[in-house]
Amino acid sequence: MNPNFSHPPITKTRTICGYCGVGCSLDLLVRDNRIIGVQPAMDGPANEGALCVKGQFAYDYVHHPERLTHPLVRGADGQLHQATWDEALDRAAAGFTQVAAKHGRHAVYGVASGRTPTEADYLMQKFIRVGFGSHYIDNCSRA
Amino acid sequence: MSNPLSDMEKPDVIFCIGTNMTEAHPVAATRLKKAIARGAKLIVADPRRIRLAEMADIYLPIRVGSDVALLLGMAHVIARDGLYDLDFMSARTEGFEEFLDHVGQFTPTWAAGITGVPAADIERAAILYGSAKPGAIFYTLGITEHICGVENVQSLCNLALMTGNLGKVGGGINPMRGQNNIQGAGDSGAIPNNYVGFQPVTNPAIQAKFEKAYGRPLDAEKGITKVTALDRCGESIFAMLIDGENTVVSDPDQQHCVHALKSLEHLVVIDIFLTETGELADVVLPAAAWAEVDGHFTNTERRIQRVRKAVEPPGEAQPDWWIISEIAKRMGMKGFDYSSAVPVFNELCELSPIYAGIDWELAESGQYQWPIPYKGHPGTPRLHETEFTNGRGKFSFTHYRDPAEVIDDAYPVWLTTGRRLESYHTRTQTGRSQGIDYLLAEETLEVHPEDVHAWGLVDGGWAEMSSRRGTVKIRVEATRRSPRGTVFASFAFPEVPINQLTGSGYDPITETAELKVCPVRVVAV
Repeated sequence: MNPNFSHPPITKTRTICGYCGVGCSLDLLVRDNRIIGVQPAMDGPANEGALCVKGQFAYDYVHHPERLTHPLVRGADGQLHQATWDEALDRAAAGFTQVAAKHGRHAVYGVASGRTPTEADYLMQKFIRVGFGSHYIDNCSRA
Repeated sequence: MSNPLSDMEKPDVIFCIGTNMTEAHPVAATRLKKAIARGAKLIVADPRRIRLAEMADIYLPIRVGSDVALLLGMAHVIARDGLYDLDFMSARTEGFEEFLDHVGQFTPTWAAGITGVPAADIERAAILYGSAKPGAIFYTLGITEHICGVENVQSLCNLALMTGNLGKVGGGINPMRGQNNIQGAGDSGAIPNNYVGFQPVTNPAIQAKFEKAYGRPLDAEKGITKVTALDRCGESIFAMLIDGENTVVSDPDQQHCVHALKSLEHLVVIDIFLTETGELADVVLPAAAWAEVDGHFTNTERRIQRVRKAVEPPGEAQPDWWIISEIAKRMGMKGFDYSSAVPVFNELCELSPIYAGIDWELAESGQYQWPIPYKGHPGTPRLHETEFTNGRGKFSFTHYRDPAEVIDDAYPVWLTTGRRLESYHTRTQTGRSQGIDYLLAEETLEVHPEDVHAWGLVDGGWAEMSSRRGTVKIRVEATRRSPRGTVFASFAFPEVPINQLTGSGYDPITETAELKVCPVRVVAV
């Protein structure tokens, strides 16, 4: 086979659109760890083959160069600096522990996302309830 | 939604109020178009002459914030003309005689005086919906983002209850959820009043169940909403963990919001980009995005659907479930030793009565709509078919009240805000998508052509728009989508921060901001 015509294989992964609440089913076309296209799922229960302009075309943000690729921690100079996961997670955890010790367990608040998977939302509320025994948790449904 | 999306093709009469569905939920709107092609009639109530209004058999251009008056006027006509379903009301509701009495005072002429819609059109709409077999109601944030959001929803429930349009194929009350998984966020207990599966935190038996599951004492009182928490930042709230929300741009009264977050001693933001909110944080943690994680979204018809990982996240980005668990473990919390999203979802299902009938394996099919109370249950595409959750349906004795702020000499124009087809929320995603940026590159203020002339503006020129909370500069677009005296803009573009202006008031029960009504002054610059 002429090597000039060989391409890495395209894989297809069924998922759900990440935009509005209709929940359209679609197939992601991926080559070399990059999304190269979206196909509407004809058997998607919510969309039956339809997609809107966002669901069909607005997927390239996933590979945008501005994606966060490392944790950031604010330094003594007031700026955000690249940090390791260990440094960032320790700093995040210590801050919550210190605030709760200083101001009480009702001084910590959690805001979960309407964009993340349900598993992330469940753990956000568990973090607040297990960590502080309060119900100081909400999500972005009020704005 | 009380009914499945597939039911959208089946009503005789469709009543859309406060929903710009062709832009905000385009694929759902295609089902309404199919129903209309089949012969269904469409009633649209909206201050703006949106695309749906152009398709309507009856269009009711109500003044912003006057929904309750319209709906009371319609209930009056349905009661007066005997268009109600007496069998349904007798069998499934309570207090209907008092309700029929209550609406006797709200004549179409009274409603016309408040809404600005001719009484004859209110009558026609009421008779059309009241005679429908079945009639379906659809609404979005145009109903809920008001100081009277609860009364708006209750007024819609009254119409459906009195006409028996609940628990029926092609009927129902159907709120369209705005975000891909806002339903899942509520389902999973990320709210201050309920645990997972809408189990009230104030119920002692439920409290005991979760104290056992989570291994620690838990408050018997509700928490506070995000709106209240932002109000108390620097006073009693000193730390926040925010996951995937650009609070600074999406929330009302931006200056207040920025001040609140800056007054915290500790702010941790988990996100996929460095948002305006992340810029204020002490620690920013990079999350894996959509297409990079496994999990579930629950859609507007309560359908639980699997999302799958197709590509690796960039750099060191990690799934949210891993990030939150790692912070928890480093604080010494127990019960966060997860190996993947699978045991997280299974734990959620075990604790949630409405997900009890599924687990990770069963959810694979995407066929389940909650509630799924036990294994082997097929799920519930349509709510309220035989009974309501709390027994009999209750009518609400609603009254009209004015928005938090009304127009006056200083701020003589109504601003209403909303979404556009091409952008999503604060454009963290769609603003970084090349084709989308080409389709919609900047925000504009939609002004009626005669107002453009009367206010000395120029189509395509610049205007300065001020409310009691701030001022923004925005390009003017002359369009008859806006009625005289009312202007429209979206909050999508951080460089035109419309939410510097909003925040005039909040619904006292839900604490949802009145983002749909804000008196402003518009001047040419």
